Amino acid sequence: MIAPTLPHVDDIAAVFGDVFAPIADWNVALTAALGSPTARTRRHIDAVVEGLVRPELAREGSLVVGAGFVAAPDFLADAPWHLAWWLGQGNSFGSDPGSSAGSSAGGRRASGRHAVRRLEAVEDPASDSFRDHTTLEWWRVPERTGHRHITGPYVDYLCTDDYTLTITDPVFVDGTLVGVVGADVYVTDAERVLLPALRRLGGDASLINASGRIVVSTDPRLATGALLRDPAVTDAVRDVAHGASVVLPDGRRVTAVGDTSLAVITSSTADSAR
Amino acid sequence: MPQSISGGTATHAAVFAPLVGAGRAEAVEKRLTDAITLGVLHDGEKLPSETALARQFGVAVVTAREALEALRNRGLVTTRRGRDGGSFVTSGGIRTAVVLDERLQAHSRAELRDLGVHYTAIAGMAAEIAADRSSPDDVDGLATIAASLDVTSEAAARRGVARFHLELAALSQSARLVREEIRLQAEFGPLLWLCLREQDYRDAHRAAQLAIVDAIGDVQPAVARQLITDGIQSAVDWLIGAKAELESKEQTP
Repeated sequence: MIAPTLPHVDDIAAVFGDVFAPIADWNVALTAALGSPTARTRRHIDAVVEGLVRPELAREGSLVVGAGFVAAPDFLADAPWHLAWWLGQGNSFGSDPGSSAGSSAGGRRASGRHAVRRLEAVEDPASDSFRDHTTLEWWRVPERTGHRHITGPYVDYLCTDDYTLTITDPVFVDGTLVGVVGADVYVTDAERVLLPALRRLGGDASLINASGRIVVSTDPRLATGALLRDPAVTDAVRDVAHGASVVLPDGRRVTAVGDTSLAVITSSTADSAR
Repeated sequence: MPQSISGGTATHAAVFAPLVGAGRAEAVEKRLTDAITLGVLHDGEKLPSETALARQFGVAVVTAREALEALRNRGLVTTRRGRDGGSFVTSGGIRTAVVLDERLQAHSRAELRDLGVHYTAIAGMAAEIAADRSSPDDVDGLATIAASLDVTSEAAARRGVARFHLELAALSQSARLVREEIRLQAEFGPLLWLCLREQDYRDAHRAAQLAIVDAIGDVQPAVARQLITDGIQSAVDWLIGAKAELESKEQTP
């Protein structure tokens, strides 16, 4: 059953829109910058990417804790594998010896801001623990669909050391995929800004990804990271049109959050609360 | 941005995880010695620069320099100058067995058992939650890692076991469990998995990983947990058996 969309879901879409907007700008700038074959060197790419992402990473109030460009294999003349990725002020990855002692993400952020810095990446495919990043979700999905994708929530143990959402957008030059541009957001930060918007929906409201995994929920019993093993829900998330809403037979409503591939699931009491 | 590229992955993440506590230069030296003797860092591999090492371990640059100096003196690292210069692993001639036997002798049986209990608490719980929270895509990813486990050598098997355990922890969706897994792998991984010297144990690990993937795919948290617990138990039993053997040799010269 198709139903009209819920009010306030737009507020949730807007939170993601604030992260998508700079990524879209970077994509346009990179597409232009990478048009010339002579520009396709590690050094040039790094300079371009740093110039693009640094202002957002340093911006007070930005949700972005990491951002950059990952080149398609063999796209660059002088580096078959290259990751031009910067870590933001709120990103404590690798710079806080006390982090593994188990202080909370919030506590670690409170312990101090960190300089915007390059992610140390060794890109040697001869290393036998090297793994082809083109098999990973944040690469694979935008490559296949040609569209922006949100990976996660997942524990990113090499880049942010924390529970993370990664947004990646494919970059095309003359119809060929030359890499992905993207950003990392801590789930903790996303929860802080998303929860008030979810509460305005009334009743129990949960933001879930396309796999049915909880991103944030107002239902105290539903943990972030838990998987709703409910084919009716995952089918609805997959099939519901951008910005549209469907009501499940049990009365729960699944509403697409703009074109993010995320959805909000609300209890039937949310409708009566309106 | 996840899991790949950084000279790749799990085992390297553990090697370069930040250090906590005193005696930092010795700790850096020990961490790198373990990684070199076990083949996690292999012969000829280039180490990060002093500055990068310092940042990754969370120590001062002078501390990282001191640790590299000690490794150079022991012949585990050579440093070349110039454009393609840097510090490179030279593990060709070292007697890894001796280094690790010394590690084993330095721990009491009680400590080894306690290590097993601690690691079981982390890895067992991670497996249990992972079984509840893994999507079909997650299970496919884990199955790929299990299928790629190379049991032809101790070093390859160690990398595969570390990689599998870290991925399993990540599937629990708990950042704390992942951090603790990395910390324990860095601190005790080299010691705990000494049993992988033996082909029988490497084969058993391969079978166990495939069974764990099945348990997680079938949403069987208790089964996944038990399989992890059994694997750690047998690794600790092996350690204590090996320790007993070393001790009896010492007493009958």
